Amino acid sequence: MPSEKELQISPIVQESVVHNSRTLYNLQTLAASLFGVSAGILGLESYSGFVFYLVFSLLTTVLFYALRVAPASLASGKPALDTSRYFRGSYEFWAGGLMNGLAGFILTWTLFYGLVRA
Amino acid sequence: MAQVPVQTIHRDPQLFYWILFPITIVMILTGVLRHYATVLMASAPKKQDRKTLREQRALLHGINVRSNYHVLSKSSFSARRDALITAYETGSYLKDPDNRGQPPPNPMSDPSAMEGMMGMMKNQMAMIIPNTLIMSWINAFFSGYVIMKLPFPLTIKFKSMLQAGVATRDMDPRWMSSISWYFLCIFGLQSVFNFLLGSENAANQMAQQMTQMGPQGAGQMFGPGVDPNKQFLAEAENLAVIEHYSVLDGVEQRLLEGIKV
Repeated sequence: MPSEKELQISPIVQESVVHNSRTLYNLQTLAASLFGVSAGILGLESYSGFVFYLVFSLLTTVLFYALRVAPASLASGKPALDTSRYFRGSYEFWAGGLMNGLAGFILTWTLFYGLVRA
Repeated sequence: MAQVPVQTIHRDPQLFYWILFPITIVMILTGVLRHYATVLMASAPKKQDRKTLREQRALLHGINVRSNYHVLSKSSFSARRDALITAYETGSYLKDPDNRGQPPPNPMSDPSAMEGMMGMMKNQMAMIIPNTLIMSWINAFFSGYVIMKLPFPLTIKFKSMLQAGVATRDMDPRWMSSISWYFLCIFGLQSVFNFLLGSENAANQMAQQMTQMGPQGAGQMFGPGVDPNKQFLAEAENLAVIEHYSVLDGVEQRLLEGIKV
């Protein structure tokens, strides 16, 4: 954790942090709904559906890191898999997507499962 | 152990067209409607007279000086601090300096405070009324239908929630009635609204309740029933105890360290 003085020398702009996490949140919720659609069409049931969701939402986060965060973050000398250049907590970045998208995933999963396997 | 055979229920495919799609479409459209109703009903910020605005800005000025003192040089910071503290303590920024020391007026009697409460009431109403209407609409038209099967198994506890209105004892709790599809829509449609209306929408009441839990900042600061004189005095005290330093202190040293090979 940087000290107060370091924060004052290179301040963190609150608006940018909010914008970054909002962008991530939008991506995660939308992607989760689309995963629900595909899980429903594939006809996955119980555990395999949840595993599908887990794998694909982690994959989304990894892709997001590799494509959007990593180029600038690695160039500025941060170690790999470190998101502190753009996001506050690494937990929020890596695991937050699972919680954010779950409701949307279940909704579309149920809908398309019902439509396809009726 | 005998395997419990999978229950199959033959349902009319028309159920989808006449129950599932109407509920989903109505839920989405209500969200859109609620968003635009909130946008339209948002009362424009009230015009305040010069004295009130000066009082608020003076306080904000003090807070900004206090939180950003490290970018000021020592002399300019102490000049600002002296000016602000003198002004706060003499009360020269107050809206009506004659009222100093008197208890603040009752917030209920203040007409501007009533307006703020009306705004909150309006928001609450915009959330409650559509929900009640849709609930009773679904109950009146679609109660008692089993429309869908959840793709994952649930325990028996969920039966009363998912199969409200379908009093069948032996049915697998995976089967769900129309009212539970409604609940699923309430929780899961946020992503659809994000996609349709942009991320700062007011369509989903769940998200709104989340934001209401959040920190209440500037709105509370100038609220009714707060004595500005006391705020000024507190702020003057806060300013007085600051031990000033600048971010430029020792910057030459840091620069030289940074460019050392």
